[in-house]
Amino acid sequence: MSGDGMNPAAVAQPGEDVRGDDRWMSQHTRFVQECKDAEPDVLFVGDSMIQLMQQYEVWREVFSPLHALNFGIGGDTTCNVLWRLQNGELQNIHPKVVVLWVGTNNYEHTAEQVAGGILAIAQLLTSRLPNAKVVVLGLLPRGEQPNPLRQKNAAVNDFLRSWLPRLGQALLLDVSGGFVHSDGAISPQDMFDFLHLTSTGYRTMAKPLSDLLRQILNEAPEDRRAPLV
Amino acid sequence: MSAEDPNPAATPTPCEDTQGDGRWMSLHNRFVSDSKDKEPDVLFVGDSLVQLMHQFGIWRQLFSPLHALNFGVGGDATQHVLWRLSNGELDNISPKVVVLWVGTNNHSQTAEQICEGIMAIVQVIKNKLPHARTLVLGVLPRGKSPNPLRERNAKVNELVQEAVLSVPHASFLNVDPGFVHSNGSISHHDMYDYLHLTPQGYQAVCEPLHAHLKSMLDKPPEN
Ligand SMILES: [Ca+2]
Repeated sequence: MSGDGMNPAAVAQPGEDVRGDDRWMSQHTRFVQECKDAEPDVLFVGDSMIQLMQQYEVWREVFSPLHALNFGIGGDTTCNVLWRLQNGELQNIHPKVVVLWVGTNNYEHTAEQVAGGILAIAQLLTSRLPNAKVVVLGLLPRGEQPNPLRQKNAAVNDFLRSWLPRLGQALLLDVSGGFVHSDGAISPQDMFDFLHLTSTGYRTMAKPLSDLLRQILNEAPEDRRAPLV
Repeated sequence: MSAEDPNPAATPTPCEDTQGDGRWMSLHNRFVSDSKDKEPDVLFVGDSLVQLMHQFGIWRQLFSPLHALNFGVGGDATQHVLWRLSNGELDNISPKVVVLWVGTNNHSQTAEQICEGIMAIVQVIKNKLPHARTLVLGVLPRGKSPNPLRERNAKVNELVQEAVLSVPHASFLNVDPGFVHSNGSISHHDMYDYLHLTPQGYQAVCEPLHAHLKSMLDKPPEN
């Protein structure tokens, strides 16, 4: 992608406290604090799709046992996640895998810009955590019926599929399959508001993700480093 | 705002589809069509605090057995709920109790305006469902530390509690079990983002609410 410096989706920005209760900064501050005591093997970072996962049983059953930390904030864009990671949320921790899921809230940006923003976060992660793998989750379709945001999110995934392999340590996991039925509709059984996942929806995407995470974590670090020496 | 201006919180307004995926109207349409083949005794209406309740085990455990239906939409303010209820969501059902929980998303509106919005919803419910009683839940404190929205929400509760006194078919229930600790902070174990409830937070809210609803359903209407 040309002109990364010009991409507004790759500019770090704290979440704006438009409501006046300072919740965004309170959450960021808590995450920075958690970095001081926790020793996560897996770090989940992103928007409400990451955040809500922690409220369902699938988190305790599947991801928590992998020593996972959850740094999800509802409403976050690539800009907000970039800012958080540059401002303390990677301090003192050395996860072996980072799971990144963000981009569906970047309403003001084109698909190419959103993908560029995600790439910028992945680049930051690979430079700060040179021994970690970065698993980027593909954006999900949204809306009950076909709509422009579905096309945009699919286009973001297409850019990521071609760009991410260049980073070596990063890969795209597309978990969007199966949510759109043959009549074009998304079911409220999977996405209760046609955007956020139900516990059933999380079960569906958790299987391929946990399989991949186990596979990465089971690779001995020595084996992974050997070819590089 | 001059005295003649209508109160935006009490003016039925569909939510604008700013994002472009039509989700708000999809949810409304689904509620309308859902209501056609359901016979709920209890209807929950409101914003994300109602909506998310439906996603956790507590719903199946406590409210499904009461034959409850959930019409919660994330982000809704009073004017949006007012529009939904005036446009089909109450037309095919006759619940005995309507649980109303909304108001915390009425940003840039005063406590007085929000209270009027809530009371306008209570009136629409009365018009559409003359035999139902409405239970208005108090809006919860929010934000990790003390902030103006907590004060505003507390004021809304004060006003609504007063306003329902003169409305025989409506009552108010404060469902805050004490989320604000003695040091002024709210724990993320109760509200994961200092607004939305965790399953643990829902448990603390829903057990007393469930007991209250059961006694309402067991007793004939007050008047
Ligand atoms: Ca009354």
